[in-house]
Amino acid sequence: MAAGERALGAAGAVAFGIAVIAAATAAVEGLLRIGLLNRYIVPLPSEVLASFPRIVVEENILAPFVVTCKECLYAMLLVAVFGILTGTLLHRFVALRAATETWVAALASAPIALMYPLFLVLFGRSATTVVAMGLIAGLPPAILKTVEGLGGTRRVLINVGRSFNLTAGQMFAKILLPAALPNIFVGLRLGLIFCLINIVGVEFMINFGGLGHVINELAERYDLPGTYAAIGFVILVSILFLILTERIERCLQPGT
Amino acid sequence: MPAARDLSGVAGAPSGSGRVAAIRIAIILVVVALWEAASASGWFYRDVIPSLLTVGRALAVLAVNRDFYWHLVVSLMEVGQALAIGGGLGIAIGLALGGSRFLSRAFERYLYYLGPTPKIIFFPVMIMWFGVGPASKVALGALSCFFPIALSVAAGMRQIDPVLIRVGRSFHASPMQMAAKIHLPAMREPILNGVRLGFGVAIIGTLLAETKLSNAGIGYLIMQAYAVFDMPRMYAMLIVLFALAIAANELVGRYAGVHAVSGS
Amino acid sequence: MGAIGTEARPAQAMAPPPDWVLVVEDLGKRFDTPDGAVTAVDGVSFGVRKGEFLSVIGPSGCGKTTVFNIVGGLEPGYQGRVRIGGEEVRGPHKSIGMVFQEESTFPWRTVLENVSFPLEVAGVARAERHQRARRFISLVGLAGFENRYPSELSGGMRQRVAIARTLAFEPTILLMDEPFAALDEQTRLILGDKVLQIQQELAQTTLLITHNITEAVQLSDRIVVMTFRPGRVKRIVEIDLPRPRTSEIVGSEAFGRYVAQVWNDLREEATRGMAESEIGALSRRP
Repeated sequence: MAAGERALGAAGAVAFGIAVIAAATAAVEGLLRIGLLNRYIVPLPSEVLASFPRIVVEENILAPFVVTCKECLYAMLLVAVFGILTGTLLHRFVALRAATETWVAALASAPIALMYPLFLVLFGRSATTVVAMGLIAGLPPAILKTVEGLGGTRRVLINVGRSFNLTAGQMFAKILLPAALPNIFVGLRLGLIFCLINIVGVEFMINFGGLGHVINELAERYDLPGTYAAIGFVILVSILFLILTERIERCLQPGT
Repeated sequence: MPAARDLSGVAGAPSGSGRVAAIRIAIILVVVALWEAASASGWFYRDVIPSLLTVGRALAVLAVNRDFYWHLVVSLMEVGQALAIGGGLGIAIGLALGGSRFLSRAFERYLYYLGPTPKIIFFPVMIMWFGVGPASKVALGALSCFFPIALSVAAGMRQIDPVLIRVGRSFHASPMQMAAKIHLPAMREPILNGVRLGFGVAIIGTLLAETKLSNAGIGYLIMQAYAVFDMPRMYAMLIVLFALAIAANELVGRYAGVHAVSGS
Repeated sequence: MGAIGTEARPAQAMAPPPDWVLVVEDLGKRFDTPDGAVTAVDGVSFGVRKGEFLSVIGPSGCGKTTVFNIVGGLEPGYQGRVRIGGEEVRGPHKSIGMVFQEESTFPWRTVLENVSFPLEVAGVARAERHQRARRFISLVGLAGFENRYPSELSGGMRQRVAIARTLAFEPTILLMDEPFAALDEQTRLILGDKVLQIQQELAQTTLLITHNITEAVQLSDRIVVMTFRPGRVKRIVEIDLPRPRTSEIVGSEAFGRYVAQVWNDLREEATRGMAESEIGALSRRP
């Protein structure tokens, strides 16, 4: 009984949330229509909604979406390779790790995104710049989580490996790596999120490439509903990435 | 036998901190050497990898440049305002979400999913709403830092040990006393941690906006250096910016982590 | 407390009996603790005969786990010698299979993959290693659970997976460190039956480290009773109970006599251990 009531409460809360958002949108629509809000600053929500098919058909937003996905994919491949390699290296050499772990953590907290003019000089307005920005944004969490995962392997599992006379290579491949995998994946997931944020951001900043570029173009054309719809599209894509990677993460942890 | 160490192992172990310092110095030396070699090699466009001496000179020039400080203050003011607005809203909303299971169920998922999206793409909207001046940068910074702060305050409020709340109630503390003497002290760490995260993204949001469209601030100066291809100056400004951001992050982190050194 | 390095030790000139597969000679080990160096194990000697089930029993802090780690080759820097089939062993040895006290199954592998693990490491082909692993899985009574993950099993089942995995290594000597310590008494007795049955079927030479008297008497041919810190051999008790055994034997009069005898030896040590740890706790108070 109590559980059912609570479930109803949860569903009720979700419905309430949706209702409030819908009401707020309707209120904005109303205020715009009676002229209390300026239509040249905020477009009609109905127009924004109507623009979604338009940006898909006329602006062909799926093509830049694919471009952004590709850039993300390349950056993430590099993040995975260099992140796991560096993390393994730092795990293997304790002194090296003690010397550099705080540096990596500091780098993770630094405003890396602001380095884009540097890459712009190095690689020009090109996909390389975009991928490089994605790479340096995604690298720190991948490194830190790899180190954390490998170091967090339970002592007894390592002892099991030693009792079976595992070579160093077998120990890594069959015990340390699988034990660290859930953590490594968390790192890659965080890396992917940072990577996507930075890639779309840089595309917007340098007006090149995929989704960020489209938003910039629409804004420069002063296509208000289109800009809002494109922003909405990017947010949907981000949410999709987030949910997808969460699902994969859950699948990768058998039983737990 | 817990906390026991192997005698034979201890004898041969080198002293830790000295070795770490040596490795750090070695890494720095190697990086500097590689950098200088790359700089001297002539493989890159002129000045893309300037000699560190040149960068040092540019830093020195910046240090005595009054204009630079004015722009720095402009940026810091913008970031400060962004943090005040976004952080204040974030703490308020976070407290509301953390305190009410209903509100959390109704709205928190939207914050959770909107949090990790690129905020800079809202800049065109901010320009339309707040104009091309500092206000749009502050708005973008505030938007950036609102999400991590709200989420971390909400999570922090839920993590308070219920027994502490029961203790407060058992002493008949008033709601104000509960907030001041139980909730806030118990949430010190998550709040400061949220502020730390928020501060980082506020800097990024504000300064990125400056580099996109502005006539003042460090972001503006960086783009100016880019436009005239003054690489040493650009490196110098990025170094200052990174140093400030990392130092501030360290400071808040240290203040937040007094009781939890083992984090990270 | 005894300075090990300086103390003169009796020479072990005598050759061990030929049916001893594992010979532990004069083991000694010191640890550095915040309260100064502690001698964990001092002058421990015993041998395990082929096919024998030998238990080492002692109060907490008698250095049982240290003996386990040294014999298993996981603990460097000790005095004395461990010999298997006459050959001195330093480091993990292929004729010793270890079962650990802690949860040690690989959570990312199914039961079958866990038990196949040592065969996989040894380079046995997939089909064959699965076939051989299945045999050990049914030996520990887990047939039907091959494709489950450890998280889907109970603690007792997981520990049986760990035992099967070590048996699949086909060690000359099975070395177990309180493998049932985390389980409740009933599960422990039933798993004891399982271990008796396995030992019988495989004629498996086994060295069990335990602090549980019932378990030791139920399973063993001989019991090595150790003293509290420093851990020394106090007495070696022959358990002359008929084999094959089951846990039913726990109710017998002879069983009760052995339990009482071992407890008599242990009581003094356990009391001393408790007193010392209490004094230690007092003196550590600021």
